[in-house]
Amino acid sequence: MKNQTLLPLVAAVVLLGSVQVLAGEVKVIANPSVRSDSITVAELRSVFLEEKRSLSDGSHAEPVLARSGAAHQAFLKQYLGKSEEALENYYRTLVFTGTGLMPKTLPSDTEIIAYVAKTRGAIGYVDVNAAAEGVKVLTIAQTGSKAERHLITRVEPEYPETLQRLQIGGTVRLSVTISPKGAVENVTLLGGNPILAEAAIKAVKQWVYSPGPSRTTIEVTVPFESHR
Amino acid sequence: MRQRIATMALIWFCAVPAVLQGQELKLFDRTVQFHGFASQGFVHTDGNNWLTMNTNNVGSGEFTDFGLNASAQVTDKFRMGAQVYDRNLGQLGQYHPSLDWAVLDYRFTTWFGMRAGRVKTKLGLFTDTQDLDFLHTFALMPQGVYPLDLRDSNIAHYGGDIYGTINLGQKRGSFSYTGYAGFRDDSIYSGYEYFLQTVHNHTKHYGGLQYGGDLRWNTPVKGLTVGASRLEEDLKGFGIRLGIPVHEWSITPDFTNQFYGEYTRGRWHFDVEAKRYYRHHYVRNGAFDDHLNVHAWYVAGCFRVMKRLEVGSYYSRYTMTSTFFKLFDTSLPSAHDYDKVVSARVDFNRYWNVKVEGHFMDGYAYGPYPNGFYPQQNPTYKPNTNALVLKTGVNF
Repeated sequence: MKNQTLLPLVAAVVLLGSVQVLAGEVKVIANPSVRSDSITVAELRSVFLEEKRSLSDGSHAEPVLARSGAAHQAFLKQYLGKSEEALENYYRTLVFTGTGLMPKTLPSDTEIIAYVAKTRGAIGYVDVNAAAEGVKVLTIAQTGSKAERHLITRVEPEYPETLQRLQIGGTVRLSVTISPKGAVENVTLLGGNPILAEAAIKAVKQWVYSPGPSRTTIEVTVPFESHR
Repeated sequence: MRQRIATMALIWFCAVPAVLQGQELKLFDRTVQFHGFASQGFVHTDGNNWLTMNTNNVGSGEFTDFGLNASAQVTDKFRMGAQVYDRNLGQLGQYHPSLDWAVLDYRFTTWFGMRAGRVKTKLGLFTDTQDLDFLHTFALMPQGVYPLDLRDSNIAHYGGDIYGTINLGQKRGSFSYTGYAGFRDDSIYSGYEYFLQTVHNHTKHYGGLQYGGDLRWNTPVKGLTVGASRLEEDLKGFGIRLGIPVHEWSITPDFTNQFYGEYTRGRWHFDVEAKRYYRHHYVRNGAFDDHLNVHAWYVAGCFRVMKRLEVGSYYSRYTMTSTFFKLFDTSLPSAHDYDKVVSARVDFNRYWNVKVEGHFMDGYAYGPYPNGFYPQQNPTYKPNTNALVLKTGVNF
């Protein structure tokens, strides 16, 4: 009885909160050989623009792109700031002036996940709802104002049972303020399903970061994969 | 025979790209990538013959080029590769293949790397990519700044570069820098060497020391980049004129300054660039000297109408003065070339494009530094030239 009352409410909240999920949300995945669980936007951009082939933790990094699709467009807009044509021209300029190579591109999320799973250092991106077996999902963080803050302790959020049963997933975007000592002082919701956000905020407040010279505010994405 | 081989290679390039899609093979556990490109153009003019082709009235298809490269990422920081290039442009190139670039590249960090070998030169927005047809909306880049007939003069140098990108943060953008030193060695089938034949000088060697740098600011304004380049050269030329050895050399280093900006917003893209080239040379074994001053600039705009169609237009101005030619009045057609251009580019797919372009040129800028109009094809000059350029290109 309780569930029958709750379900329409959940459905309403999900509908309201899922607009952002339907608009080409993307998650970044990596081969398990990549040591870090998170990557800054600046470092992600450097990898995909072929400015570096290894991460700050020493892991080999190789970009893998989608050929097209909503996740591809979302990734270009959110992290690279280039249109599809501009990015294609950028890579061709590298290849034909001797300053870089053409990165791997694959036509579907399934092929991207399979390639990233078997290729050392591979970093790619897929739709947020794609089943990411054999790969790790990287948390994206904005670079801090003075120094990068590395995540030392991560607490996984509890997936709300009702939404998991309904196979409703998504990505929650949070603004996280970190104290100089590394504790999470404040968490603000930027986007995502409100019910998932509540679980994400509860978990992120328990995270511990590396110490830094000053208070830092970063953006964190927490994916909820409905196919777990 | 050379032309037959080139034609077969061009047919192969045109037929295969969609299948090749950039080939890879594994060598010593490293992936080696192969890529290539080819283009074929046709030019028709009324007025003067252009770019050493007989373009007036009938038109000319002597406008072909192609290249093939191989590259490999050996370690996370070390990469190597090479590209071979060949072309025929009227009387230039004549299908003599050349090493376009061959590079050993070690990138220590994002902000510091080194390259050595035959390295493409970073000068202005498009020096290093001027002949990569598939990268540009226009069939011909503004000739005052990127002269196709003088491609050899600064497209690449034998030497070394340092380069890097310094991130200043989200509010300040980033700087990309390149510094280089090396030497230039022109092909004897290039434009300046062809021009010297008008005074019976058959070049055996033309080149010399080159050094310079480029600094560009990727500003915090999304889509806006501005920058400046400077190139200095200490050149020597040697040829045979009427059976007698003849030398030319720089009295003071030649210099080129280029300032530029580009802006992309949505479907729009704009470029603006200004160039000054100055040289003071002794010619004919020191019997004469020449102060040559070239000023050129252009403004270009492009609009992507749809995924497969882009249109563009530019206005360019080129003026030249020369003490040896007693050319001081830039209002004369012999001292300037003003070009109004409209262009359309259709991409059939990722690999194949076609361009249609119109040029409306005022002047022919004939002096000691050629700008596309050569006396061998133009015994008398007309003040204006209109040109239709059709071009198709493939890349993989």
